Amino acid sequence: MTTTSTISVEEFRARARAWLSDHVERKPPGAVAAITSLRGMHEFTKEQIDAERPKQKRLFEAGFAGITWPVEFGGQGLSVAHERAFIEEGAPYALPNFGIAGGTTFGVCAQVMLAHASDDFNRRHLPRMLAGDELWCQFFSEPVAGSDLAGVQTRATRDGDMWVLNGAKVWSSWAHLADVGLCLARTNWSVPKHRGLTWFGVPVHAEGVDLRVIRQINGGADFCEEFFDDVVIPDDERIGDVDQGWTVARTMLVFERGGSAVAPPKTPPDPGPLAPDLVAIAEAAGRADDPGARQLVARGHSLDFLRRVLDRRLAKSMSRSGGDAGVAAYGKLTHGTFDSERALIGMELAQGEGIAWDEPEGTGASAALTFLNGRINSIAGGSDQMQRNGISEQVLGLPREPSWDRDKPFDQVLRDAQNWDGRV
Amino acid sequence: MDLDLSDDQELFRETTARFIDARCPLPEVRRLADQAVAHDPAVIRDAGELGWFALFVPEEFGGGTVSGSPLRDAVIVAEERGRFVQPGPFVATNVVAYALAERGTREQQERYLPALASAELTGSWAISNRRGIPEAGAVRASAREGGFVLEGTAGLVSEGGAAGVFLVTAADGEGAGVTQFVVPRDAAGVDVVPLGGLDLTRRFVDVRFDGVGVGADTVVGTAGGAQPDVERQLDVAATLNLAESVGAMRRLVEITVDYAKARTAFGRPIGSFQALKHILADASLWTELSTAALDAATEAVADGRPTASEIVSIAKAYAGDAGANVAQMCLQAHGGIGFTWEHDLHFYLRRLEADRALYGDPVWHRERICRIHGLGAHGGNA
Repeated sequence: MTTTSTISVEEFRARARAWLSDHVERKPPGAVAAITSLRGMHEFTKEQIDAERPKQKRLFEAGFAGITWPVEFGGQGLSVAHERAFIEEGAPYALPNFGIAGGTTFGVCAQVMLAHASDDFNRRHLPRMLAGDELWCQFFSEPVAGSDLAGVQTRATRDGDMWVLNGAKVWSSWAHLADVGLCLARTNWSVPKHRGLTWFGVPVHAEGVDLRVIRQINGGADFCEEFFDDVVIPDDERIGDVDQGWTVARTMLVFERGGSAVAPPKTPPDPGPLAPDLVAIAEAAGRADDPGARQLVARGHSLDFLRRVLDRRLAKSMSRSGGDAGVAAYGKLTHGTFDSERALIGMELAQGEGIAWDEPEGTGASAALTFLNGRINSIAGGSDQMQRNGISEQVLGLPREPSWDRDKPFDQVLRDAQNWDGRV
Repeated sequence: MDLDLSDDQELFRETTARFIDARCPLPEVRRLADQAVAHDPAVIRDAGELGWFALFVPEEFGGGTVSGSPLRDAVIVAEERGRFVQPGPFVATNVVAYALAERGTREQQERYLPALASAELTGSWAISNRRGIPEAGAVRASAREGGFVLEGTAGLVSEGGAAGVFLVTAADGEGAGVTQFVVPRDAAGVDVVPLGGLDLTRRFVDVRFDGVGVGADTVVGTAGGAQPDVERQLDVAATLNLAESVGAMRRLVEITVDYAKARTAFGRPIGSFQALKHILADASLWTELSTAALDAATEAVADGRPTASEIVSIAKAYAGDAGANVAQMCLQAHGGIGFTWEHDLHFYLRRLEADRALYGDPVWHRERICRIHGLGAHGGNA
């Protein structure tokens, strides 16, 4: 890593402030981010995403992208304090927003590459990512492997300096808007499942990739499924060592569950206004004085506050002892269980308004959409049940369930599963 | 508790834990379970020497804190007490000491605070009806020449059988005011009636006031204007009660996880079955959420933040339900052994269910949250 620059945080902040004010538009007052995640009813288009790319390129060329990343990979080689200063200065501005693709590209895929990819790979890809030329998505789950991620069956076969991929991926958020997928494939079927996996970068539009958008229960379309039919990938596009992909996957899972160590907020959170969306539903239904409805509003409001104080407690714990997928599972399980509980509170408050409405933007329709979206966090990024496994095994120290597939060659695992008779 | 403890506070915690282990471990709690008073007065007096009842009392009256923050220190004791389901009027006496230290007259402070701080005298708060709703009304105060007459019955008074003094929160005879009094147990017309109960580690009484004449010098704070004091007392009492619950929940989860690792069935530890692991993961999560809420409530009350009452109500409502659910799940994980008298589990089950109802149950606290925010037609008066 080269760290040529010795610019102080305050100099950097001043430079950022001046540049932002000259080159970036301010957010309109009261605006929420134009592109957000997983809210049905919004369709994000390639045009919207492409309009963000030149903004990212300007940021990159001015030296404000990848602030903490190594200089040789297009970053600035500066400290997290520099990065924090830029985030603070940038808050009022309409900075590039790639929605889910931004989190996947910079928060998950790039972090995995920085930890495991070769320098050549990183020199090739990371600067393009920082310049907005390459957005990444995740080719992780398959129709036959979700919670059991190490059971993926997409096959990568070596052919000289190339690999040939065949198989299917699914639940890849925003793949239709991305450029490259971070793909987990099986390269060895004669060893146990965790020991035959390898990662590749697969261009979304490569020959042999058939990509389809999946429509969700909320009407939105954030996910895709992909079918690989003899997709040819050069060995240069491999991330990490052949058959050692599970090591890489463990890094990926910590980032995906939000388990990286972050500084806890210094001041305790404030409960804020009484759950505004629930109050709106209760008032629209004329139930603000109904004792039962008041109980529901207070419960929903409490859940919002509780998840924030828990997140702070977990951040405190992880800032002491480092990022930990087991500890992060408490936060993930809270979001998974609270989202659905809160969504049902909205429906209970709305009563009939939540199942039939004359105003598409009214409180009833909004409660109904929240109800549908209430299932997202209990499945995405590791189901509630996987989080419970993480807590009980990694934190409480309870023994693992016996596994039938851990030490068997994977091809035998597949055969045995077909003939499962309940006997060991 | 996750509030970063100072070295002095950590020492205080360790001393408290060692004292409990030496003087009132579970077998002793169990021995006291069928006695008329659930605690040993000698143990409570010795706990007084450790400072359990001195925290809210100013130094000039024999009090003192460890950290300078009475509530934070008291939460440390309460959590340790909860871990080992300790009997005795800890929350009850401290809330009386708090009220007198904050709002008592000099004369009241001189008379009661030194005795409360040293645990020569224990106290309890008589506010609610038998249902435990912490609002004035069960006892009514009517003004008369030179003082007041108290009439009515306060129910669910903690450790009232052993108390030497009551803090009485009374509704005014006419009008909507609230007045608080400090009344010795031996005042003429005060009758203490023991109640049977679920929680074997605690005793509750009715305190009957049958035309009890009290002088104006027994009024604590402003006659007719004590409601703000009541809210603050409730925040302190509910936070300490909550801390006892959190201690009990944390210990109960530890006991149950250990059992699930040790007990085998179907050829393996039962804790390796996902059906049990998932129950315990949930119990652990609910306990962590309750702990995080306790920390937030403690910080907010100790620092006098404007949102303190709301945060206490969020925490008390959540942990009340969570504690009861954790106890149910832990009994389920134990199976039949958890349903026996010999196993300690039922002490925790009973205690956590009682905690839920004390100092405002979850339903009452959720309504208080709405009232604080002024939700509804009468909201403006909150």
